Amino acid sequence: MLEMHRRMVLTRHLEERLGEMHKAGRTRGPIHRCDGQEAVGVGATAAMAHDDFVTTTHRGHAVYLGRGLDPRRVVAEIFGRETGYCGGRGGHMLVGDAQTGMMGGNAIVGASIPAATGMALSMQLRGEARVALAVFGDGAAQTGICHESMNIAALWRLPVVFLLEHNAYGLTVHHSAQSSVPDLSVRAAGYGMPGETIDGNDVVAVYGAVAAALQRARRGEGPSLIEARTYRVEGFSTSDMGGYQPDAEIAEWRARDPILLARAALADRLGAAHVERCETEARAEIDAAFDAALADPMPAFAPHTPSAPHAGRAYGVR
Amino acid sequence: MATIRYAEALNLALREEMARDDTVFVFGEDVATYGGVFKVTQGLRDAYGDRVRDTPISEQTLTAMAVTAAMTGTRPVLEIMYADFLPLSLDALVNQASIYHYIWNEQVTMPFVLRTQGGGGVGTGAQHAKSLDAMVAHIPGLKVVAPVTPADARALLKAAIRDPHPVIFLEHKLLYNLRGEVDEADEAPAEIGRARVARAGRDVTILATSRMVLEAQKAAEELAGEGVSAEVIDLRSLRPLDLDAITASVARTNHAVVVNEGWRFCGYTAELAATIMDHAFDDLDAPVERVAARDMPIPYAETLEREVIPDSADIAAAARRALA
Amino acid sequence: MATPITIGAAGGEYMEAVVVTKWHVRRGARVCAGDLLAEVETAKAVTEVESPCDGVLGEICAGEGDEIAVDAPLGFLLADGEDDVAAEVDAPGSTPGPPPAARPAPAADPGARGGGQPGRVVASPLARRRAGKAGLDLRHLAGSGPGGRIKRRDVEAALARGPTGEGGALPLMVLHGFAADATIWSALAAELGRGRRLIRPDLLGHGAAAPAGGGFEDVLAPVLKALDAVEAPRVHLVGHSLGGAVALALAGRRPARVASLTLIAPAGLGAEIDGATIDGICRATRPESLLPWLRRLVSDPQRIGDDYARAAMAGRGEAVRGAQAALADRLFPDGTQAVDLRSALADCALPLRLIWGRDDAILPWRQALAAPGHAALNLLPGVGHMPHVEAPELVARLLRETLAAAEAMGEATLEAEAAQWLTG
Repeated sequence: MLEMHRRMVLTRHLEERLGEMHKAGRTRGPIHRCDGQEAVGVGATAAMAHDDFVTTTHRGHAVYLGRGLDPRRVVAEIFGRETGYCGGRGGHMLVGDAQTGMMGGNAIVGASIPAATGMALSMQLRGEARVALAVFGDGAAQTGICHESMNIAALWRLPVVFLLEHNAYGLTVHHSAQSSVPDLSVRAAGYGMPGETIDGNDVVAVYGAVAAALQRARRGEGPSLIEARTYRVEGFSTSDMGGYQPDAEIAEWRARDPILLARAALADRLGAAHVERCETEARAEIDAAFDAALADPMPAFAPHTPSAPHAGRAYGVR
Repeated sequence: MATIRYAEALNLALREEMARDDTVFVFGEDVATYGGVFKVTQGLRDAYGDRVRDTPISEQTLTAMAVTAAMTGTRPVLEIMYADFLPLSLDALVNQASIYHYIWNEQVTMPFVLRTQGGGGVGTGAQHAKSLDAMVAHIPGLKVVAPVTPADARALLKAAIRDPHPVIFLEHKLLYNLRGEVDEADEAPAEIGRARVARAGRDVTILATSRMVLEAQKAAEELAGEGVSAEVIDLRSLRPLDLDAITASVARTNHAVVVNEGWRFCGYTAELAATIMDHAFDDLDAPVERVAARDMPIPYAETLEREVIPDSADIAAAARRALA
Repeated sequence: MATPITIGAAGGEYMEAVVVTKWHVRRGARVCAGDLLAEVETAKAVTEVESPCDGVLGEICAGEGDEIAVDAPLGFLLADGEDDVAAEVDAPGSTPGPPPAARPAPAADPGARGGGQPGRVVASPLARRRAGKAGLDLRHLAGSGPGGRIKRRDVEAALARGPTGEGGALPLMVLHGFAADATIWSALAAELGRGRRLIRPDLLGHGAAAPAGGGFEDVLAPVLKALDAVEAPRVHLVGHSLGGAVALALAGRRPARVASLTLIAPAGLGAEIDGATIDGICRATRPESLLPWLRRLVSDPQRIGDDYARAAMAGRGEAVRGAQAALADRLFPDGTQAVDLRSALADCALPLRLIWGRDDAILPWRQALAAPGHAALNLLPGVGHMPHVEAPELVARLLRETLAAAEAMGEATLEAEAAQWLTG
């Protein structure tokens, strides 16, 4: 649990540093912070086997760091550096690392769902006991591909776990204006798979629920739907003007911040000083990652040969 | 050598590749038990069991699944029953399949094939008769092939399955019964990106795709009776394009007619005409003539549909205009 | 036939293009085989380009500083007395045509798919490339493709016909006025040149013709010789001002060789002339002093700007000025026309047209009234002494009518003669 806490702190400090950098005008494009949601991505990835796959959303920093990606290379990718996980070609929404099975942030809302389902099909056909975990939001739960994927996964008993990271808002629209039912886990029944709603700010609860679902899938018993209730405290992205999330609602969720909850639980067991030291080291690791990554070189352009429209030529016309 | 139908040639290619590589699997609507509505996958379920799957009617998700299955160690061959349904697959093609090799800095390959069939001429109506070749050929990161002979159908499908990148494999509903010679002993895949001279000629180059190659050959026969020697080039690969074959032919004939069954405006013929202008402008003795579908929905009634879909008479007329 | 000037082996084995660093001769200059024409820079060094034959430097395709492919022509050499390539207004050493602002607005050519400006040649890319390699000017060809597009077959047919233009329309000889040169015809040549050979000599003491003294007979003689050298059976003659007087005299000497005669504000039809302008142009050594006199030539002085005067002055070196002053002294002594061709005009039985600007300040348009009854007479409102520059489209149209009518008449006469011979 201390390691999960450490990764949540890594993620939080990454988000805070990105917020500062954005205010200083040093980021490029929008950044989608996951402040307050860290327990979902970190708890879920902690439950994965080393060769499982995970797909996530455009708000995937907790999954990136939870899955154990090197903070320096994550920051380098966010800042478009050559040393980033994708050499600066992807950016913060599209980080992918095949080595750890972190098969990508995905900025088409809902796309992480069939993506994980396809990987699960691949594993089933290859007869491998590996599972794919789809992390997606309450907005993505309303897409057609969510329905199609859940139906196919349940039909074929694919080794996939659907983790619905319910942060209450699809961009600016509250879930009550998007969904016909308040609890999305009830939809699992329609596909004949287990579904439950858990506290997405309790990292241990997330870990437990996802671990059980992964084991079930690994046994060949098919998919599960886990709805982890959490809250997005920092707006849709750095370009969000705000104004649609009630202050009282934000304050209520801040009081239940997953890092506060985990810190309190750990302090009881390990002592506050020990936890404090661990957090300080985690923040220092992120600061060092920023220092190193920002000193890294920008990538040099090279054309993409497989995209070339003319056979036998490096790229484009002329 | 054996004379077999186009659909049988595709079936042969699938059997050969599934036998050769057990990560190859086939899925799509009606492909398993029924053997495909055009009978291309007939008998595969019996031979390869669960590697051949009937699916729910979920093109968007099936295409997205093919993308990530291909990224994680299998070689999916997805059948989309009609090219008219490609728009449902489009997000997975434009926003997923085509990007990852590049965006993830070449960490992954994506060896999947999307087979589909398009084209009109038999009264299937506006939602089952289109040629959306240009829509998929537009996308960097995809390859698009469209064989017209049974031998090419087999060799190109094998090449597509073995290719590390996504390949859109365009068939035509009027080609499935076309017979042609196939050397069963020759299991070599074709090279994607090579055109074929379907008929040699000297006066005008006719570049055509898919079934329009057959119409172009008919037109060339008609033109031969008028003393005009037309060269017909079957492009086979729409992306990447065999630029060398095109420029070499236009350099000899100095006249070009480009033919595609899709719509004209922003269509595949527009790309061909622009390509010739880019690379062979000074060899042209006349503007490039385009033959394409009329820019309107494909109607049902025969008298209406034949006005919209181009044919050999349109191609011959275009060649005469080019040579005027 | 124009001979292309190419770089040849100077480009070197691995070179695709060279840069022209200097032209040693000007457009219109006479050169001999082996003369240094230009310098080009290759990757290795500066290389000299020599003249491949005797001739006159015609069109320059690559100016100083231009990069050009090794197999493309740098320019063309013309045979003596031949000028089948329209001059560029900015070609070195030439007196410019009307400034761009004064050019007529482009008019659509309804038949042509090229739909271009007047004078724009509509030709296929391949036809252009073939013609460029052979040094053939497409402005002289009629196209057989849709909308009159020149195709490869037209270029090949023209090359097979050879330089005399046999089987084509009769050549057109145009003679410029005092103090101008052959380049003054650029605007008209673009209108009339297609499908027809143009012969545009410089008069004695003008342009590329060697500066020399002499009188009207000395001006006439070389042109007469050039007319005699034309291989076509007959020639359409057009002359402006002094060139008009020369054309009228030529027609009197060789009536059988002239298909039609068009005189634009011709000299020789009365005593009166604006001697001050003649003197002013001859005396001017600077653009500032030339400008007011050039402005008197046209109806709207705003047509002639400082740039135009500067460009004109650049072509008027001391030798040219001296030769022209001497010529003016013989032809227009004391502000009076010494040459009187009124009787030649009265006797002229050829298809004849006179074009005169109503605002002509140099030669009064009333002198046109000396024309015989069969002549066509066009008095252009709002036009001064330079109708072919001030109203090129209208003048071109009038010329086309004259040429077409004369050629139709010529054929009818030949047929009548043949019929007479057969019945007789």
